[in-house]
Parts: sequence; structure tokens; C-alpha cells
Amino acid sequence: MRKMMVVAVREYLAAVRTKTFVVTLIIMPILLGGSVLMQWLLRDYHDTRAKTFAIVDRTPGARLFSSIARTVESYNETTNDPVTHKPLLPRFELQQVPASADTPKAIDEQRLELSERVQKGELFGFLDISADVLKPGQGKTDQNEDSIRYQSNSPTSREFPRLIEKPLLLAIQAERAEAQLGVSKEKMRQIMRPISVESMGLTWRNPATGEVEPATLQSRYAPLGVPIGFVMLMFLVIMMTATPMMQGVVEEKMQRIAEVLLGSVRPFDLMVGKLLGLTAVSLTISTVYLGGAYWAAWHYGFHRYIPLELLAWFIAFQALATLMYGSLFIAVGAACTDMKETQNLMWPVMIVAMVPLFLLGSVMQEPNSALAVSLSFFPLSTPMLMILRQSVPPGVPSWQPMLGVVVVMLTTLFCVWASGRIFRVGILMQGKGAKLGEMLSWVFHD
Amino acid sequence: MSAVAIQDVTKTFRQHVAVDNLSLQVPRGSIYGFIGPNGSGKTTTLRMIMRILYPDRGAIRVLDESVDGQRDGRSILDRVAYLPEERGLYKQMKVRDVLRFYAELKGFRHCGPDIDAWLKRMDLLTWADKKVQTLSKGMSQKVQFIATVIARPELILLDEPFSGLDPVNTDVMRDAILELRRNGATIVFSTHDMAVAEELCDFIFMIYKGRKVLDGTLESIQDVYGSDTVHVQLDGQSVGNDLPGVVKVTDLGRWQELRLAPEADTQVLLNYLIQRGRVRHFEISKPTLHDIFVRIAQPIDTLGEKLHA
Repeated sequence: MRKMMVVAVREYLAAVRTKTFVVTLIIMPILLGGSVLMQWLLRDYHDTRAKTFAIVDRTPGARLFSSIARTVESYNETTNDPVTHKPLLPRFELQQVPASADTPKAIDEQRLELSERVQKGELFGFLDISADVLKPGQGKTDQNEDSIRYQSNSPTSREFPRLIEKPLLLAIQAERAEAQLGVSKEKMRQIMRPISVESMGLTWRNPATGEVEPATLQSRYAPLGVPIGFVMLMFLVIMMTATPMMQGVVEEKMQRIAEVLLGSVRPFDLMVGKLLGLTAVSLTISTVYLGGAYWAAWHYGFHRYIPLELLAWFIAFQALATLMYGSLFIAVGAACTDMKETQNLMWPVMIVAMVPLFLLGSVMQEPNSALAVSLSFFPLSTPMLMILRQSVPPGVPSWQPMLGVVVVMLTTLFCVWASGRIFRVGILMQGKGAKLGEMLSWVFHD
Repeated sequence: MSAVAIQDVTKTFRQHVAVDNLSLQVPRGSIYGFIGPNGSGKTTTLRMIMRILYPDRGAIRVLDESVDGQRDGRSILDRVAYLPEERGLYKQMKVRDVLRFYAELKGFRHCGPDIDAWLKRMDLLTWADKKVQTLSKGMSQKVQFIATVIARPELILLDEPFSGLDPVNTDVMRDAILELRRNGATIVFSTHDMAVAEELCDFIFMIYKGRKVLDGTLESIQDVYGSDTVHVQLDGQSVGNDLPGVVKVTDLGRWQELRLAPEADTQVLLNYLIQRGRVRHFEISKPTLHDIFVRIAQPIDTLGEKLHA
């Protein structure tokens, strides 16, 4: 036991007291949050050059153009910063193009001509509204995809069609109503005022003030962020700690350190010592990240979405997951004689470890579906999936995480025992690495 | 009382018999040299004494405790230390930290003063807080040696302790080994340096193809071969090959070493040489350990054949 601790302390310090560890600790969240952060930082950096669009309005009297023009006009008033008057968004400019003759050939010719102007850069895109749009629908088959088309060679730039889509639809509906029902366009617009459904969290009573706190728009994101954060953190910490540990075992073999160690410690004690050190490292990382995240959440008033009980479960599952995966990684390291060989034996472990990440979306959607429940009792994915299901409101019955811990503990014991047997044989083996079959035979035969 | 008692031990790896029915007694307080060609079973024997490997058959007692495949009695390992042939140090650790780690692993807790004393003795004090990877080969060999003996073991097994050391460090290492013995430790070491083995060892054990071929004091081993070696130096010329009663001529440059056939007459040989030229040196002696080693590992005559058969 004492020797286990000596090994554990050395492993812990060897992992934590390096520049790489500190750098990784800082860089990891930056890499993860990086893409989100970049988009947020660059949200104001739009291409502010004006974009010109051609409008071909084939309705009688080109009645829809004015509606588009009004929409664009009011949009253009918002493109400059209200204080500094610097352009923030591109201005849109419209060119009304007289409709061609109403024959398929002439229409195609006109579209070609406009497309060529887009190619030349004179236009950013063009909108082609057919005369059909004002006709009332014919029941089932009233979806005509060709009624309004927006053509451009920048299909990812959706600002213009997105801007005009709703107002144009309203204008068309008003035109139709006036023609069919005799209701004035103005009246029709009032009737057709659009409504959207907003997703929000629950209204709650603040225990500190006793006041009822209104649900906020933001509160709908917290219940999404917490579970994703938990699963990503657990996966990252396992990879950040177990991979260097595996490399360490290979190094011990290559440098013949293993022989000296085994001259003092039993192989099993050596491996358990390593696992304890590894677990301590993983808990250090989790504590830093969770502490930071909790402080930030508390600072911005989100901390009620991270109940302390959930944090305790996370720590428990994190520790077990590190032990379980750590023992597998150590077994792989012991069976290999150089770093290249570890790659071949790593992939089965990696794939199993990544299963919860693949299932992230579907489990969050339906945390209590039969599939989600049964997969969260598959021991290798239990830690990540159980904490995921626990952190998606409304949570899971309390017997489930408890049973999960028992299942993982038993599996961990088995993994540690089996890895210990692989470790015992593999650690002294030189020359060439073992195959999966050989490793299994070390486990089950003496 | 033996520090190590090996009784009829056999160890097989797949088809390869690494150690074949070996018996050996290492008396306490002695310096025991293991010699033998590469791959002959020296390291396997040392590892079995350390309980890193277990024998297939036979029994090994270390410091009067049994090592016959039983996993108990582990605390004995705290009293035994092992220096593997290749380095066994964490490259990223500082010298002092790695020494403390190995001491604590053997259960030796208050090792600070001992570490300083050893570093001073090995002229490494200025390197105490440097990382192992910055050390030269000789320096890390010395650090490894300190790591081996830091926990004051009673039995010390050294695999090639002198390889890669310059003459000054070889002397430092030899003095350290002799002092450890004076303080009561038993030392078993393997070496390819026959001169060191001759100087240092109370007993010499040679293993060849897994079997014991020599075991005893240097004198008793040499006595087996008798005085069958003649060192000759002729003025300005080599002795040539077809000499009466000589089975092998080894040209050492300025000297020639002649091995005599059994019952050869040195007087006849000297007469013959005098007729060849001016004899500057003619010395009848016992074969060196080097010569004995080569005779066994590269047998050319019936004597060697007989011995290792």
C-alpha cells in the first residue's frame, strides 16, 4: 500500500509539474471554445460593401416590387452604427428589371442574361417573381417551387432572401385577399401579423429574495450547455490523462525502468499506484475546469442550472471513468514496445470511448428513451451517458445513477484485474508488441 | 548461510531454454562475478533472483527466504537491489528526485543525507537538481548505481555496472563496490570485462547456453586448466605457426600467447624458439580468465569441448 502511494505521488507530480500540463490546461478550453469565440468576436466584421440585386416582378403592374423596396429601405436605415455612423452591414441596392415576354424561352433568356451579369460582378443576385404567385392556391398542389426564385452564385449568403421572404409573403397574401375577398391590403396586414413561438426555461422563485423570477430567453440555453459541457469535459480529461500515462508505460519499458520498478514493487501494486496518480490528475483538471465554470456561472447568475449534487455525481463518475479507461490504456501501453504500436491497439478503446459523443444529440433529445437508458448501463459508456441524462432536465430516477456507479465499479475492478495480468506479462516483454489475441490469452491463462 | 541459493532451476521461454538445471551458492559478504557470452542466461538468472521472473522448475532462496514462485514474502525485495544492464531512469526527473523515488520505493524514507553523501562521492553534487536527460552516459550510469544502492540493500545485483565508464569512473565504481562489501553487503555482478572480474571477484561463475560451466575462485578455475599458457616475445619477428606441442597461437601484437597441448614439454618449445631467433621473453603461466572464456565460448580443442559438454 505504501509503495502504491509512492508510485502514485510520482506519477501525479510527473504529470502535473510539467509545462505541457499547464499549457494544455489553458489551451484546451481555448481550442474548444475557440470556434464559438471567433464567431462571436467576428460578429461585427461583415463585408460592408453594398450589394446590388435585380428584381424581375412578373406580376401585373409589378405590384410586389414596392413591398420589397420598402423592406430594403427600412433595412438600409439599420446598416450603420447609430452612434458612430460607421457601416456595420452591407447596404442593399435594388434594380427593377422589366419582365420579359411571358414565354418559357424568353424567361430563360432573361435569366441567362441576369446570371451573366452576376458572373461579371454587376449584381450579387436576382429575384424572379412569376405572375402565378397572386393566384389563389388549388388545394393540395398549391406548392409551386418555381413561383419565386432567388438566383446567385453565393448560395451560402442568405441575408437578402431571408430579409425579404416574410414581408414578400405578407404582401402576396394581402394582394390575394384583396382580389378574392375584397379586404383592403392594410386590413389584411393587420390580420396577418406574424407570431413566433419562443422557447424559454421555467419560471422560478428565488429563494434569496422570495420573489418570482421570470423565465428568460437565455435560460433555455443553460440546460443545453451544462450536459454538453459535462460530457465533453469527461471525455477530454480521460484523453488528456490516460494517453500520457500510456506513453509513460511505453517509456518505462523502453528505458528498462520497468525492471528496476519491478525489483521493488509487485506489478499489480505498480499499476494500481499509476491508476491512483492518474485519477488524482484527472480530478485536478476537473476541479480547475468545473471550479472555473461554476464561478463564471455564479457570476452571471446561471449557477442554479448546475446543482452541486450533479457536480458530486460528475466527480464520482469522472474518477471511475479514469480508473476504467486508465487501466485499459495502461494495458495497451504494457503490451506495446514503441509508440507506433500503441496506435493499432488504441482504436478499439477509442471507439468505445467515443460512443457517448456520437449519441450526444439523440440522448439529449430523449434522455429517457429505452435506447438511452440501456446504453447508459453499458459500463464503458455509463459515466458519460449517465451524467448526460442526469443533467438534462428533468433528470433521471435516483436509482439509475446509483446502479450505474455499481456497474461501473464492478467493470473497473475487472478492467484493473485484467489489465494487471496483461501488465505483468507485457511490461517485461521486449522486441515486438502483442496482438489483441495474445493479450486476451495473458488475461485468462496463467 | 548463503545470500543466494539456486537449486536445480530451469527457465524456458517458448522453445528456448534460457537457464538449464542451474545450481549456485553465493556466500554472504562475497563479490560474485557472472560471466558468459551474450544471450547465455546471465540476465535471466539475475531477474529470477529479483523475482521479476519465476523459474519453471527448481527453487531460489534469497537471504534465506524462498523464491519458488510463491508471491508472498515480498518485503525481501526491500533488502535486494538490482541495476539493469540498460539505463533505468526517468529522463524527465531531476537527479535528486529520482534517487528519492527509488529510495522510498524500497521503503527507505529519510534518505536526504545518504543521497547527498553518494552524490558527493560520485562527484555529481552539482548535477543534483538537473534533469536526468542532461547527464552524460557515464554520469547517468553512476546515478543509476546510486539509485540501486541508496536504500542500503543487503544483496546487490549489478548487470554490467562497468560498461560505458572511463578508467577514472571505473575506479570510483570499483571502490564503491568494495566499500559496500566491507559494510556487509553481498554483491553479484555480471560483466564482459574479464580483467575487472579477475581483480574484483571472490568467486567467478560462468554460464554458457543456460548451463553452468565455471564456478569457483579464480585460482581454482585456473587450476583446472593448469599452466598451459606461454607468453613469448621474439626479437623482431613473430613466432610462426607450426610449433611443437602448441595447439593455438594468439597474436597480441608485441606478444604471442601460445596454448600448449596437454603433456606438451615447454623445454622442447623453448629449444625450438631459440633456434628460430633471439628470445626476449618466455613465460609459463596459467591462462587468463579472458583466455578461459574464449576457450569455452569458442572451443577449438578437446579440453574446451570436454569442459562444456
